Amino acid sequence: MTADPIPDDAVASGAWNLAGADARRSLALCAIGAVLGLAVAGYGLFTAQGTRTAGLPAEDAAIVNQVPILRTDVIQQLRALHDTDLAHATPAQRRQVIDDMIREELYVQRGIELGLANDDIDVRAALVAATEGQTAIEATTAGATDGELRAYFAAHRDAYAGEGTIELADWLVPVGQDARAPAIVAALRAGAAPQRQSLTRSGVMNDGEEYYFAARLHLGPALFAQAVRLADGAISPPVASGGRTHILIVRHNRPPAPVRFGDVRDRVLSDVVRDKVAGLERNNGRFLRQRADIRIAPDLE
Amino acid sequence: MANLLPRSRSARWLAAATLLLLAVLLVRHVLPPTARAAMVRADPDTVLADPALAAVALPLGRSVFARHCARCHGIAGEADAARGIPSLRDGEHLYGEGRVAEIESIVRHGIRSGDRKGWNLAAMPAYASARPYAAEPIPPLTPQGTKDVTQFLLGLARRSTDDAAAARGRRIYGGSGGCWDCHGVDARGDPAVGAPDLADPVWLYGGTAPAIRRSIAYGRGGTSPAFAKALDAAAIRAVSAYVASLSAPPPETP
Repeated sequence: MTADPIPDDAVASGAWNLAGADARRSLALCAIGAVLGLAVAGYGLFTAQGTRTAGLPAEDAAIVNQVPILRTDVIQQLRALHDTDLAHATPAQRRQVIDDMIREELYVQRGIELGLANDDIDVRAALVAATEGQTAIEATTAGATDGELRAYFAAHRDAYAGEGTIELADWLVPVGQDARAPAIVAALRAGAAPQRQSLTRSGVMNDGEEYYFAARLHLGPALFAQAVRLADGAISPPVASGGRTHILIVRHNRPPAPVRFGDVRDRVLSDVVRDKVAGLERNNGRFLRQRADIRIAPDLE
Repeated sequence: MANLLPRSRSARWLAAATLLLLAVLLVRHVLPPTARAAMVRADPDTVLADPALAAVALPLGRSVFARHCARCHGIAGEADAARGIPSLRDGEHLYGEGRVAEIESIVRHGIRSGDRKGWNLAAMPAYASARPYAAEPIPPLTPQGTKDVTQFLLGLARRSTDDAAAARGRRIYGGSGGCWDCHGVDARGDPAVGAPDLADPVWLYGGTAPAIRRSIAYGRGGTSPAFAKALDAAAIRAVSAYVASLSAPPPETP
């Protein structure tokens, strides 16, 4: 069968004259469209993540029941087990690593079949930790803008102040002489030496200058509250604590100093991400509860 | 079939446009994945040495870096001590030795990112706190102890201004402070846990006495995101190769 030649003067009014309708052209365009559609669908079907069926995706070393074993994991295992890279590993080393990973994958899949996620406390703990980790990954990957960090810093400035430091001597009034304590304080403020007043050291705060947190632990809350109010060289009034009367003589007291944003930027970022993770976990918890069918025994509600 | 051949001008334009579209689709979505697949299948540490693979990896890596990494590292990958951002160009590596496979592991799983495959082994304790390190018991330091260790570290580069303090700091470093446990008895660091070399001139958060004292007192623990689920394998491989190339340029191609 030969096609009729199309006269030149008929071309303008023929199949490819877009101004007019033509059954053959419609059919041809439909066919082209169908072929293109099939090509696009086929490309998507055979290359989309998770649906690839034609061969092994480039990033995978193996696929076990549709679960990929990544080349990067094989490479890391080669480094960990044989201290070598993919290019220099022997076929036996590669085979051993891949076999081990396939075995692990098979056992993981079998474990899921057996319901170990329900029964094994280690599996459950690992799953919970990994799920929480996913939340942290999202927050860390999202990061924070400089504006967010500065706003957080401004709202929590006190939390980033440097730790205060203090150096003092904690003197004990002799047992049974508590009534003399005000007179002893007056004498000390007048320049008398503590030893001349029969005072003895309590044994705490003997390390010289200490951070506030350490001084709080060593002195206890009552004495520490008194101490941080005192300036360099000041002598406290008598303070009753732990069944004894104390007198504090402060050598240096450096209250927490405000810091610049730039000095603590990394700590602010860490705290912002931590708060984001906490918020995301709260939301996740709410979401999981909302979509779950939870029934609690009436006697336990 | 001859009747379907385009003879009019409009039909020829239509056919040409269709062919062009097909060609563009072919070039953009079919051919590069083949080259990218070769790059992904290759040993990561051979990518930069292979001109054909490098030619695929570096342009793609550069664009991925600009989109996902430059926000923190800057477009040039330079250090920023104020933010604890390491230089990607100086050949110093906190984790590993700078091989593409090691960088790829960081890109994929991050540092303290929450990814359990990431680098999460250790962080710098905050010695000016009651509990300097959450993971294990370490005693805090006194303010003088903090200054002494600072002097010891400055002394490693002959910058100490107080030899007696540096000597006390050495004892804390190798004793109660537990610093040696991560940074090594010679203070040369340990890339297996991301502990920096304290004897070289590279300081992640600045090497002045106040900056070192701040690091000792309040701790450090920088993070890097995990991109395993945000980027595909080719993008991760490419950006890893690109980052490696910043400090170790690939050989010239003829």
